Amino acid sequence: MTSPVDAPNAVRQDKYYLALPLGQRPPLRVIVDKRNLLANLLLLGLLILLAGVSLNTGSAASLSLPATLRALFGAGSPLDTFVIQELRLPRIVAGVVTGGAFALAGCLMQTVARNRLATPGIVGLDNGATAFAVASVVGAGISLAPPAMALTGAAVAAALTFGLTGRIGVRGYRFLVAGIGVGAVFGALTQLMLTRVSIDAANAAYPWTVGSLNARPDHAVLSLSLALLPALLAGIWLTRSLTVLRLSDAVAISLGIAAGRCRMVALSVAVILTGLAVAVAGPVGMVALIGPEFARQLSAKNTVPVVGATLAGAVVMVAADLLGRVILAPIEVPVGIVTALIGSPLLLWILLNPNARTAP
Amino acid sequence: MTHDAPACERDATQPDIAPDMTTQGLSLAYGSVAVIEDLDLQLPAGQVTAIVGPNGCGKSTLLAGLSRLLKPRGGTVLLNGTDIRHQPTRQLAKRLALLPQQPHAPEALTVAELVRFGRHPHQSWLRQWSADDKACVDEALELTGLTTLAERPVDALSGGQRQRTWIAMAIAQQTATLLLDEPTSALDLGHQVEVYELIQSLAASGKTIVMVIHDLVSACRYADHLIAMYQGHVIAEGLPSQTVTPELVKRLYGVDCTLMTDPATGAPLLTNVRRTRDVLDGSAT
Repeated sequence: MTSPVDAPNAVRQDKYYLALPLGQRPPLRVIVDKRNLLANLLLLGLLILLAGVSLNTGSAASLSLPATLRALFGAGSPLDTFVIQELRLPRIVAGVVTGGAFALAGCLMQTVARNRLATPGIVGLDNGATAFAVASVVGAGISLAPPAMALTGAAVAAALTFGLTGRIGVRGYRFLVAGIGVGAVFGALTQLMLTRVSIDAANAAYPWTVGSLNARPDHAVLSLSLALLPALLAGIWLTRSLTVLRLSDAVAISLGIAAGRCRMVALSVAVILTGLAVAVAGPVGMVALIGPEFARQLSAKNTVPVVGATLAGAVVMVAADLLGRVILAPIEVPVGIVTALIGSPLLLWILLNPNARTAP
Repeated sequence: MTHDAPACERDATQPDIAPDMTTQGLSLAYGSVAVIEDLDLQLPAGQVTAIVGPNGCGKSTLLAGLSRLLKPRGGTVLLNGTDIRHQPTRQLAKRLALLPQQPHAPEALTVAELVRFGRHPHQSWLRQWSADDKACVDEALELTGLTTLAERPVDALSGGQRQRTWIAMAIAQQTATLLLDEPTSALDLGHQVEVYELIQSLAASGKTIVMVIHDLVSACRYADHLIAMYQGHVIAEGLPSQTVTPELVKRLYGVDCTLMTDPATGAPLLTNVRRTRDVLDGSAT
């Protein structure tokens, strides 16, 4: 599958050249970076391992590994099967898709904004989606299903942030400042709604405000899963353009990239993923910061690790949820608090290191 | 493999003749500030054209307009008689390359990686690397003398090597027209000459080169065609030796000078450059 003959003479062989056997001349050929392939396999292995441990960990029933596996495939006792299939597995699936969605959205936004700080959470999308989802749960105003409301909220927050940024575009610092402002307004709105409703309704909505995998609205996971797959494919499709767009707009346009359209698609995908992910788990925005960074450290330099970031986000989310369930057991620490604890040092590092701030 | 490694050849779909680039009634503006209005220009094919003029005269804006970075407020830019706005950006990228002023490479990007980006318009998602790509990248590295530096990070190179890397990327793009925005700014004399000679050899191989430069003497020395801009207008154009006069220099830069002919190259040479007295006094002539 490799044909090193076709690599530039002076280039190290750090890539696979996959020839697609479709009989085309010149042959169709896709480049796969060896290091990224390894990184993604490593992350996938880590994800499966963590999912297994998570499946086997919990307070409701202490199961042996064989018992867990039997229950997973429907061969265990009814109680075990219920605990594994109805309680733990859906939660892990929710963790995988939300983590993947947040991190993919983060990776796309950071790349087109050329700034590590430009994650959906920091530019206000998480808070916008949360405010609308909470409005749906407490029954304030028009009430669509939480995923639709969260999606609307993310889109409204994005529209406000872009509107306030003006013609300067997502590159400038103004994009971040406007986003932080928009996020603060929606955060305040959420708090206001929670103080105005009955204590029961507020309790029902509370998980969203911190981020938890414990209170998933109906169909929210399904909606997100249906969106995540095409979003990931779009991300993979955009990778080549995004890699060139990292250089500069002038160079990218000169190389034939429709820079504006590429950025628009990437941002739209990020908004949709963030909205739908918030509907499942609330504003776990730190995953959008941690996941892509984790993937970048593992991946080849100067690539945009779209798949890696998605996998890493899923790993971070499942790991954080697992941690939250065990560190203070039987009390459960919401996943949003665990990721905030992990993400804060990373955020500080980015803020204090001027080189880290720009050019992810 | 049955597919022989070919030499780097220009896309067969393109006409082999060097392209004719012209503007018709071109108007360019940033927001509400008009920079260039109603400009008609002809850029000679297969030659080096230098655009000179004082700071803020609109030469970089013109280059942005020529390279579709800036959408014209009015008028058109024609490449081979076709409005560049009516060509898909990827198709145009096979005909027209731009090297912006002092571009910045991301950390740890190697010379070979950067030059490979030049092949982007010739590739697609399903055809990410071909024998053609390899030939063009190797040739671009060789033309710019970078073959042995291919694995070095771009940000670890000297200024001259770095600029050659960017030019190599534009060469790998295999366009018939190459636009350069101050390709030698921030380079020392030796590296400037290195870049200018590379540009001349590219024109000799049939490319049309348009460069914005600050240094009028170098423009005279290395360009075949000179365009002098002042306040958004072309005030003189033609062969450097016939175009540059003390009056033009005074009008462009507000300096007096003595003009000589370089005995070695025959290019106009400016000496005894000094600020015009009436400018110093603040009174116009």
